[in-house]
Amino acid sequence: MERNLKKYFALFALPTLTAFTIVFFIPFIMGVYLSFTEFTTISNARWVGFSNYIKAFEDGSNFLGALIFTSKFAVVAVITINVFAFSIAMLLTKRLRGTNLFRTVFFMPNLIGGIVLGYIWQLIINGILINTLGVDITFDAKYGFWGLIVLTNWQLIGYMMIIYIAGIQNIPEELTEAAKIDGASRFQTLFRITIPLVMPSITICTFLTLTNSFKMFDQNLALTAGAPADSTTMLALDIYKTFYGRVGYEGVGQAKAVIFFVMIAVLAFIQLYLTRNKEVEN
Amino acid sequence: MNNRERISDTVKVIFLTVLAAVFLAPILIVLMNSFKGQFFISDQPFQLPNSETWAGLNNYINGMVKIGFLKAFYYSFIITVPSVLTLVLFTSMTAWYITRVKGKVSQAIFYIIVASMIVPFQMVMFTMSKMANILSLDNPLGIIIIYWGFGAGLSVFMFAGFVKSIPLEIEESATIDGCNPVQLFFSIVFPVLKPISITVSILNAMWIWNDYLLPYLVIGNNYRTIPIAVQYLQGGYGSRDMGALMAMLILAIVPIIIFYMLCQKHIIKGVVAGAVKG
Amino acid sequence: MKSKKILGFAVAFTMLAGTFTGCGSSSSPADSGTAAESTTAAVSSGAAAGSGSQTKGGEIYYLNFKPEIAEVYNEISKVYEQETGVKLKVVTAASGTYEQTLKSEMEKSDAPTLFQINGPRGYANWKDYCADLKDSELYKHLTDKNLAVTVNGGVYGIPYVVEGYGIIYNNAIMNKYFALANKATDVKSMDEINSFAKLKAVVEDMTKNREALGIKGVFASTSLKPGEDWRWQTHLANVPIFYEFKNNNVDLTGDATKTITFQYADNYKNIFDLYLNNSTVQPKILGTKQVADSMAEFALGQAAMVQNGNWAWSQISSVEGNVVKAEDIKFMPIYTGAAGEETQGLCSGTENFFSINQKAAPEKQKLALDFIYWLYSSDKGKDFVTNKLGFIAPFDTFGENEKPKDPLAQEVLNWMGKQGTTNVAWNFTVFPNQTFKDNFGAALLQYAQGKKNWEDVKTQVVNDWKTESSK
Repeated sequence: MERNLKKYFALFALPTLTAFTIVFFIPFIMGVYLSFTEFTTISNARWVGFSNYIKAFEDGSNFLGALIFTSKFAVVAVITINVFAFSIAMLLTKRLRGTNLFRTVFFMPNLIGGIVLGYIWQLIINGILINTLGVDITFDAKYGFWGLIVLTNWQLIGYMMIIYIAGIQNIPEELTEAAKIDGASRFQTLFRITIPLVMPSITICTFLTLTNSFKMFDQNLALTAGAPADSTTMLALDIYKTFYGRVGYEGVGQAKAVIFFVMIAVLAFIQLYLTRNKEVEN
Repeated sequence: MNNRERISDTVKVIFLTVLAAVFLAPILIVLMNSFKGQFFISDQPFQLPNSETWAGLNNYINGMVKIGFLKAFYYSFIITVPSVLTLVLFTSMTAWYITRVKGKVSQAIFYIIVASMIVPFQMVMFTMSKMANILSLDNPLGIIIIYWGFGAGLSVFMFAGFVKSIPLEIEESATIDGCNPVQLFFSIVFPVLKPISITVSILNAMWIWNDYLLPYLVIGNNYRTIPIAVQYLQGGYGSRDMGALMAMLILAIVPIIIFYMLCQKHIIKGVVAGAVKG
Repeated sequence: MKSKKILGFAVAFTMLAGTFTGCGSSSSPADSGTAAESTTAAVSSGAAAGSGSQTKGGEIYYLNFKPEIAEVYNEISKVYEQETGVKLKVVTAASGTYEQTLKSEMEKSDAPTLFQINGPRGYANWKDYCADLKDSELYKHLTDKNLAVTVNGGVYGIPYVVEGYGIIYNNAIMNKYFALANKATDVKSMDEINSFAKLKAVVEDMTKNREALGIKGVFASTSLKPGEDWRWQTHLANVPIFYEFKNNNVDLTGDATKTITFQYADNYKNIFDLYLNNSTVQPKILGTKQVADSMAEFALGQAAMVQNGNWAWSQISSVEGNVVKAEDIKFMPIYTGAAGEETQGLCSGTENFFSINQKAAPEKQKLALDFIYWLYSSDKGKDFVTNKLGFIAPFDTFGENEKPKDPLAQEVLNWMGKQGTTNVAWNFTVFPNQTFKDNFGAALLQYAQGKKNWEDVKTQVVNDWKTESSK
């Protein structure tokens, strides 16, 4: 069969491969190349070596600031989202009344697009700030920061919750029952049995929130667009702004994008390594 | 169940109810403000509409006219549905082929396509839009090919994972019966892929429907999808009309909620499958 | 073989249709042959709709700079297509994004034929694209040839509108103030206000009496939301920069404009503080305010003054519940405390120049030239220009009675013809770029919020000007 099928490469694999090559692979290679050039259109690219990479970190470029902001954001987002999602998942696996309804409600925000989410929360956060402190979200970077945290929590808690529920439901009931009979306290059961057994879900959720936080663009654009004075600009938005906001900085923007890609790739490989290890243990 | 447990369960249910209300509140607040005049929204979003601030359906009418919501809905629809169909059909074929035909070429294709999943969009946004323009893919039809290329990573990955779990015997016996690979795929393999096809469809549909930057860069000036239209309200016409914005947010959310209500089970299942595999 | 492939596709679509109807219910995929047909049909009709956009009379692609007139252009293109069969495609860039939109559109295969540059700076950026328009019909009718963007005898930008801006005031409220029994100043009419000192005295006294005057604040809110801050980082900033260039005899066409010292920063601060401290809202929330909010406050009578230009008339007049009478709407110059400002007039000029993309096909360029000439010479076109767009057109094809009749345009014309006053030229056309302006606006917001002191704003402006000019 295999030999027979092999002849059908053009029908089965080629179309996807062509589309992929045209819209992704070639642009990717061109992107790497352009990061070493100065250009406004591709045809006028001029080789400049590593100067774009140096410029990316110079004063006046907000890349480092965006990196720090994004990292802080990612840490806080990962912790808050996973703690909330896990706690809710615990509650929803206790066979309470209305579990399905709750699950439906908590998951729903996840389906709404980032731009729409951003404007929903801009209305609410500005409303709260104006009516309590008399300021708005552009007043201080910390409002934008916590605004983004609240927004991401709202969006992702439901998603992570679903993954945790699946993980918790996979724990054999005999185990927790046995622990109960042995007189283990609730905390002991939680930390000795539940958490170790849902570790695969925890790894997955941690990395999902982490990469999601790092790649965030739409929400950032709609909620703060970087205000005040680019202090809430995250990496993806910073790259976009460098690229399209300033004539003559396209190369720098592309160089930033390459660095960004490398960072995401490293994160992905760490994840792959960790999950592989876990699978071996199991 | 003893008394103490019953009380503690009640407390939990109450807590969850409050939390659910908090989760729903943002949407309800936007809904409420969508009926208020545009200058009464940003300063007092928590006030119910009154006779002075009530604007009826004006915001909806305004917004629909200003950004052409119906058109935006149309574009979003004619981009999302064919893109998803294309992706499901062709990437399942590809995934089946490279899983069944073992060899270095298949493996290389698999890893390169799957690796594209981790590449952030910013890496290729400029060169890809340029490419799209050169090849005249910058229209609602051409963008289907772009989504095909960009969605290939996740879709091939998920289909390939599923194909591996299908026992070879069925396919082999069909081959002996005289099926050629095309018949084999469409009459035997593809129906078996149905559950994973649903998952792949849902994941891609959610992504493409809500996508902003890709369509904005490729076709944004001529064809505004819903996210682009919403963003365009921001300053697009000199100043943002808060009333119209509120109404458009609601109109953007409604189709999603309807879709969710109809296919909730599949969506949740699909999302989990996508997460665990991705 | 071929028919088998097609069969394969049909089967695939059948199954997909099955998959989708299976969403929620589970129907068997085998018996949905009709569904397959309808699915394929839908896809191919989508294909037809996507590709059939060619028109017979040709197409002009105009990238419009002014968002406030985007809707008028929809009407213009309808009328123009009816008259000539030529399709006019108008794309409007969102506020503050013209440079970036132009950049990305120009790289496309279907690039704009008609676009706009904002003066010498814009020409420097786009010189490869600007066609020489000295033989064009429209240029021949330009009343003041000095207004055009010219380099070495070539004409690369034709101004299509003359505009003016200053402080718009509601004369009814001012008269109410002048009639107050307990006012602390001796100013009796607007004619007497001809310097910053007098303006400040009156404004601050009005703030004290705002309840008696029935206003929330003298000035409408100073909109500093990103993208809505051009009245301050561009228009207001023009005044001190104008004086800096003028008093140092700087040649505006040369490289001398690549650095500034922001010598009159304190004058900027004078008037900006006055705006902030005598306003309808607290400075801290200015990051949420948009130009539309300010204009609405003025139109609703909540504020007596607002800085803006004659283009704002449509915004003021379209506010629901508008209480300001047209005859009460007047202009006065922006006084900042500069020496000799008693004879200062409004800021008038233009930053709007038509340019034609010389890389476009010659027949397309011809279509674009025909269109702009039609717009500024035919009766229908002129009617749009004067009455819908509200433009003061700088062409001799317009008669005396073909000037916009709205009160703000009338005021601008009055001031331009006034004896003994000098208009402030629009020197912001040499401001470095949008990044400079955006950074300036962000700094002004932080200053208004009390998060940045004035010295830092000043330093930032000077530094940014230099770095952004060097690109």
